[in-house]
Amino acid sequence: MNQHRRLRLRLSIAVAVGSLGVAAAPATALAAPTISISGATASYPLVSLLAQRYVKLKRHTVKFKIAQGGSTVGINDVASSRVSIGDVSRDPLPTDPKGLVFYPIAKYGICVVTNKSNTLSNLTPSQLVSIFTGKTRSWSQVPGASASGTIDLISRTSVAGVLTSFQTLLLEGKKVSSIATEEASEGLLKQQVENDPNAIGFVSNYQADLGGVNVVSYNGVGCSRATATSGQYAGIARFYEVTKGRATGAASAFIGWIESSAAARKIISSQWIPIK
Amino acid sequence: MLERLRRPWPDHRAERTLGAVSLSVGLLVVAMIVFVTIRAWPIFQHNGLSWLGGGGHLESQLAEMQATSVNPPPSAFHLLAWPLIYGTLLTTVIAVVLGLAIAVFSSIFIVELAPPRLRNVAIPVIRLLASVPSVIYGLIGILVLVPFVGNHLITAHEKASVQNVIELTGAGLGVTAVILTVMITPIMIALTCEALAAAPVSWREGAVALGLNPLRAVLAVTLKAIRPAIVAAAVLATARALGEAVMIQMVSGGRFFTPKPVDGVIFFFEPLRTLASSIVDFHEGIGAPALRSTLYAFALLLLFSAFALSVGGYLIKLPLRRYQTRG
Amino acid sequence: MSTFAPQAGRPASRPSGGRQPTGRGRRSSPWSWRWGDRIVLVCAWTAGIGLCVIAAAIVLYMGYRGVQYLRPGLVFSRPNVSTNQAGSGGFLDPLIGTLLVTLIGIVLALPLALASAVWIAEYGRPSWLARVVESSIEIVAGTPDIVIALFGLSIFQLGVLAPLSFTSQGGGVYGRSFIAAGAMMSLLAVPPIFAASRDGLQAVPGHMREAAFALGKTRIATIRRVLLPAVRSNVATGVTLGVSRIIGSTAIVLLLLGGLRIETQGGLAGLNVLRGTGSALTSYIYENSPAGEGGAPQKAYAAAFLLLVFVLGLNLIVDRIGRAQASSMGVTVAGAGV
Repeated sequence: MNQHRRLRLRLSIAVAVGSLGVAAAPATALAAPTISISGATASYPLVSLLAQRYVKLKRHTVKFKIAQGGSTVGINDVASSRVSIGDVSRDPLPTDPKGLVFYPIAKYGICVVTNKSNTLSNLTPSQLVSIFTGKTRSWSQVPGASASGTIDLISRTSVAGVLTSFQTLLLEGKKVSSIATEEASEGLLKQQVENDPNAIGFVSNYQADLGGVNVVSYNGVGCSRATATSGQYAGIARFYEVTKGRATGAASAFIGWIESSAAARKIISSQWIPIK
Repeated sequence: MLERLRRPWPDHRAERTLGAVSLSVGLLVVAMIVFVTIRAWPIFQHNGLSWLGGGGHLESQLAEMQATSVNPPPSAFHLLAWPLIYGTLLTTVIAVVLGLAIAVFSSIFIVELAPPRLRNVAIPVIRLLASVPSVIYGLIGILVLVPFVGNHLITAHEKASVQNVIELTGAGLGVTAVILTVMITPIMIALTCEALAAAPVSWREGAVALGLNPLRAVLAVTLKAIRPAIVAAAVLATARALGEAVMIQMVSGGRFFTPKPVDGVIFFFEPLRTLASSIVDFHEGIGAPALRSTLYAFALLLLFSAFALSVGGYLIKLPLRRYQTRG
Repeated sequence: MSTFAPQAGRPASRPSGGRQPTGRGRRSSPWSWRWGDRIVLVCAWTAGIGLCVIAAAIVLYMGYRGVQYLRPGLVFSRPNVSTNQAGSGGFLDPLIGTLLVTLIGIVLALPLALASAVWIAEYGRPSWLARVVESSIEIVAGTPDIVIALFGLSIFQLGVLAPLSFTSQGGGVYGRSFIAAGAMMSLLAVPPIFAASRDGLQAVPGHMREAAFALGKTRIATIRRVLLPAVRSNVATGVTLGVSRIIGSTAIVLLLLGGLRIETQGGLAGLNVLRGTGSALTSYIYENSPAGEGGAPQKAYAAAFLLLVFVLGLNLIVDRIGRAQASSMGVTVAGAGV
């Protein structure tokens, strides 16, 4: 009988400790909230840097989970409450779900790039439209291009915010031809342009400034951080952080820090353009 | 109570516990089928079975699915997925047919023709090929084969001839079919070798006694006798080929395009997508309800075809039972 | 079984004129065959040699690239935080991730598969249930990885299973964690372990069971003390096959282990790693190839080489177990057959 009582005692202690542990788990999780972010691939480097700095600042009392997928994926995820914040690289569209709040955090330039071996230096708006809508299909028809053969159009998948911004700002609202190869991210697009001598594509100025491709001027204006900051370059778009309703809690603190702190501004100014 | 657990269990309790565990495994599988069907249901609800057909523009359909998030309108669920089904069938059929031929010839070689030293090398080689992860095949494909095809096999003229329809980059049907064949052939070789080795020797010796040369004896008699094993091998290989997602996503070019055999050589350079590779391509956008149903519908189709394959294989083997060889 | 290899030590038989008999010491020369047969001969040789050549090419090429790019520093340093892996950073996290996922997968799969195999082989009543269990394990064996991954995504994003991953601020259950990936990996490993154990149990001679019953042991005691030790090597083979299946699976890791570096979740030591996210070698290779993000093919090659070495090692283990079992089978049977 003593044995039985001892066993029962041990069991009940084990259960008590176990339930304490289970109760403690959500408690400790609350202590370190996780901000999950998904969305644009173009703003991923910027948001990663900002998050890294913020975590250090807050002495690791907040965690981040940053995924990509494209601006539309970010908008969908935040609208259905799957993530805390969505990264978006285009302006709000009327087709976006209602109730989303867009916080602009930085500006970036969209640069047209070709392979390094193709020394094309400038494209007029009409030339660019003709190339990307698929009317001009051969490099021999493009003055100033040193490549020959078929033009390989490299574009982005339909969820990309950069694609929408590119079409609005530089293609006079027209759509990129469906012949174009669609890459899922900026990095992949740049890789494809680097490997294919006949390729032409468009990336954010961050990727273009990394080198390895030939940056084409648009209407006589080169594409770089300098011309984007001065406002000369035509293809300037914005990065947004999007929340469902006004931002609250840890997400609100993070976005507020991006908008107001000097450290954040320094990070943004390193490769992109501050909003103000 | 712990005391009771520590004493040796009576048989009926052990049987019931083990039976419960086995049942839970079965229930898990049933749960898988149920969950996938539930998630896929909206596509069937909005399209019936017509989503298996073609004629629509898949890119814009999927783009609309990705653009609608919280309450998608019924038009967002519109889907005509034939290019994907065609791509899946094309790659699978080519790989299985090629692979079966190679497998039969290789097993004849290993079991009948090879000198013993070469045979002892070949068997571990087959096992090695069968266990290489698919991502490594995909890596070699995308870093070696695709640039080779793109830079050396596709001529500028060929590219220009289709320039108004599609861009040829080297990633396409040819590389996909080659790598898929290499992936599924070892499984078939292992099964056919085992069956060849186990085939009754007396039948073959009888054929040889009647004057056939040894190789012809194998072809005429033993091959027919191991037909059940060949069918089993083909079924297994087809199931593997259908489900291959990551490798195909890496080397197939990622376009909703239906390669046309009338294009001649260019047919093998044209990009495509399969059901499984599309799931990998679009899984990040799974938050959009319409896209989620679509991906689960693809998964349900894959699940269903794997199941139908094993049933079909069983049915094909039934009339072959009279040979009564192991396989 | 080859009818072409000359039988060692047999005297050549006298040719009896005309059409020569084949087999005993007298080869049939291919030059006397029909064209069709000769073509088949050539095809068979080409196929066989070609296969060995392809396998050698794959191993040698991966070896060459691996030796070129693999450095100890890579194995023991953590990956860079950003997706751009070119430059610095190694793959310690994916390596640990692979080991962790395999461990969880096998720990979950072994009891399930073994219990099912024992039940099917030793009990198996009612028979409809036995058929259901066997068919469902067969279905799992034939299911593509990607479908299992989607299934995992659908159940682990349910609110009920939120403690197994985490809930981000905003309400969504993340649904991706080591537990999620490990649980789905166990589904991959159950069929090989089940098949190997069941075949092993069915191959144990009946007299071993009968001897135990004659001594008064219950069925479950026989299983525990006599049968399971006898099929140890079969179970080991099954586990090794399961491990190699788990290690090679990319789709499940891509969908259910959402990340790169191992990041813990929550405060409980041990449990926080299981609830956290990370990556595995396969997803690391994928992400660093031109199909993923990284654009660091050197790292991809190095990681792929390491993966190939693991798989080769597992193959060798299966080989050894097979050979040890074959040589010891005689002893066991003879010893127990008193």
